[in-house]
Amino acid sequence: MKLITHNMLTSKCLKGVTTGYPLSIKATNVKVTEVDFNPEFITRIIPKLDWDVLWSAADSIGHSEGLPKTVEPKFEDDEEFLKKAHRVLLEIEVEEGHLTCPESGRQFPISKGIPNMLLTEAEVQ
Amino acid sequence: MNEEKKVERKRKRFSARLKSSKGIICTDTPGPNIVLCNSGQATGLEKSFIVKLIKSLSSDIQVPKFIAEKGESHSYLLFSTTKNAILFYNTFNGKAKIDENGTPLYMSFVERVPNNEFICQHDNPQGLFLLDNFISIEEEEHLIKYFDWDEDIVSSNLKNRQVKHYGYEFRYGTNDVDLNCPLAEKIPDVCDVLWTRLKEHGFDVGVPDQLTVNKYKPGQGIPSHVDRHSPFGDTILSLSLGSAVVMDWRHHSGKTVPVLVERRCLLIMKDEARYDWQHGIQPRTWDPIIETRSVQMGNNDKLIKVVTSDTVARETRISLTFRWTRSGPCQCNFKTLCDSVEKGNSNDIEDELASNLEELHVHKVYEQIAGHFSTTRHKPWPKVVEFLEGLPPGAVLLDLGAGNGKNILRRNDILQIAGERSSGLLNECKQYTQSIPGADCLRLDLLYPGLKHSCADVVICIAVIHHFSSKARRLQAICAISNLLRPGGRALITVWAKDQTRSNYLCKSKQSQTENEHLITVGGLDLPIHENRTQFQHNDLLVPWKLRNISGNKLSDKPESTLLRYYHVFEEDELSNLCKEVPGLYVISSFYEEGNWCVVCEKNITI
Repeated sequence: MKLITHNMLTSKCLKGVTTGYPLSIKATNVKVTEVDFNPEFITRIIPKLDWDVLWSAADSIGHSEGLPKTVEPKFEDDEEFLKKAHRVLLEIEVEEGHLTCPESGRQFPISKGIPNMLLTEAEVQ
Repeated sequence: MNEEKKVERKRKRFSARLKSSKGIICTDTPGPNIVLCNSGQATGLEKSFIVKLIKSLSSDIQVPKFIAEKGESHSYLLFSTTKNAILFYNTFNGKAKIDENGTPLYMSFVERVPNNEFICQHDNPQGLFLLDNFISIEEEEHLIKYFDWDEDIVSSNLKNRQVKHYGYEFRYGTNDVDLNCPLAEKIPDVCDVLWTRLKEHGFDVGVPDQLTVNKYKPGQGIPSHVDRHSPFGDTILSLSLGSAVVMDWRHHSGKTVPVLVERRCLLIMKDEARYDWQHGIQPRTWDPIIETRSVQMGNNDKLIKVVTSDTVARETRISLTFRWTRSGPCQCNFKTLCDSVEKGNSNDIEDELASNLEELHVHKVYEQIAGHFSTTRHKPWPKVVEFLEGLPPGAVLLDLGAGNGKNILRRNDILQIAGERSSGLLNECKQYTQSIPGADCLRLDLLYPGLKHSCADVVICIAVIHHFSSKARRLQAICAISNLLRPGGRALITVWAKDQTRSNYLCKSKQSQTENEHLITVGGLDLPIHENRTQFQHNDLLVPWKLRNISGNKLSDKPESTLLRYYHVFEEDELSNLCKEVPGLYVISSFYEEGNWCVVCEKNITI
């Protein structure tokens, strides 16, 4: 699971859960793989993300170093920043661990890099 | 003195264990909240045990709120005052016995207790009326005496409850009555008082002619259902005797509303509540306590419904369901759950059956055939490529039901999330997409996708929705897609068409066999097995997959076994009509392509 994906995950479908966001991450195995840097992609995706959530997610798995807590107004011109964002968004992957719903405590396992968001019928709204 | 030390040592050990395994922080400073360290839902603790302890203390102590989380062997008591908590602690810690072996109960004060309360987001269904205290205590007693029966002479014993009928027998296979076979026993006179009283309350609905009496013991319930539209009129009544119960109401849009039905209450279903919502009772021995609280919203007080984590035990409940029989097609304006809406050959399948059917004949099958299936799917479908052409950098694409990921684009400037239910296919997908920078995989169910609303610029859902076995579920799937789209976002949805005459699917030398076709019964439902490479004869059917094993990288020559996948094949316009039913979704184009019906739709900007 890449942190860009984590930014969009919610446990809102659970019965009794109102926002279910963000899910906290507990990682037992984190993998870092270098991938192509495309500044236009990063520039355009950042406004669609919840940066606070991204920062905290990176921090919770020990990868927030050097990552600014806020996005500056003219971030698109700051290549160093874009590279840091690129790294956190696309290069860091949680291979094993679990996600936890902030309201109900329900855990979603992550195995072989794939979060399992399946719910039983009894659990859903 | 020695005894006291021993208790304290034990108690400390339990507290430490709670801290290390559950993160629960016990405190020595007394407060109103107590954790019972070695007794909870998993150990069989019931609230009545707590009530008994409290009553033995003093009759004027309020029974504390009781929180016993599912599967836990500890639980919590929330007293109204610290004084009462201390009294309870001093009296029972290490002294009260929790089982026949005399195991003592250990407890500790805690600061934080779990908050499992939730606010009910939706109003009660329109057309649902609850007339509390519709009958007096004496009348209730009288009715219970009249209608209750001994265990041995039950007329009909269903799996979940016991029933008895008057006027006409309710037939559970077809969920209707046979108007040609009225029962000798009519609705008894003892009910007559209800009809005049109903009129006094402003409900001029006349006198019903069918009554079903249900007896629910604690632990029994009834699956979620709508009373079939066509056999019964526009009003249905339910009188509750003996026990309150929480009834769960579900709308196909995804809304759920728990409703407390008190004993002696007359519940009236009309309009939406009668026709467009399902209702059911969960099989459990207790119900959550539902409170109405007033909260300040701006300058106004607003009443909200809170489902608390506290529970109350159920008693035996007798419900009298009164209906008005009728004949002919239903005339209602609520089509989703209506049995008079034309649905091709088969009637719509009930939700519970639908989900079992899909588990058995979709999910399990895909897990088994994942490897073989994946070898048959290599290239993205041309229509998908066309639809995704011109997607700008930075776009967010969700491929729901991604299979082995063959439709994921080899691009490095967009985010592509492949969502799939089958873990076997997902593993293939993960391998296939590994080298794509902005691609990621997610195990999910399209009905409850676990992704934020409005997160996607584009959704593709290719050959997925034909695996949902009821119209309500197919609609729910499209609702889920619509929710995930941002305003202005677009989706491509494709399903298998019943009409295969314009595709390469048909094999000319093969004829479909309608005469000696095979049927398989799944949960009481007869499904025909399709003859591959022939024209479809039905809308709901099972399609054989001849599974071949893979050893090394080679597919074996001979099939090992045949597995049956459930399909609902679509009529012309069926998919686009389904999309049009979803509020805020606008159909841009609808077309036929190689044996599939395809729809491109857009999420409305204003919604």
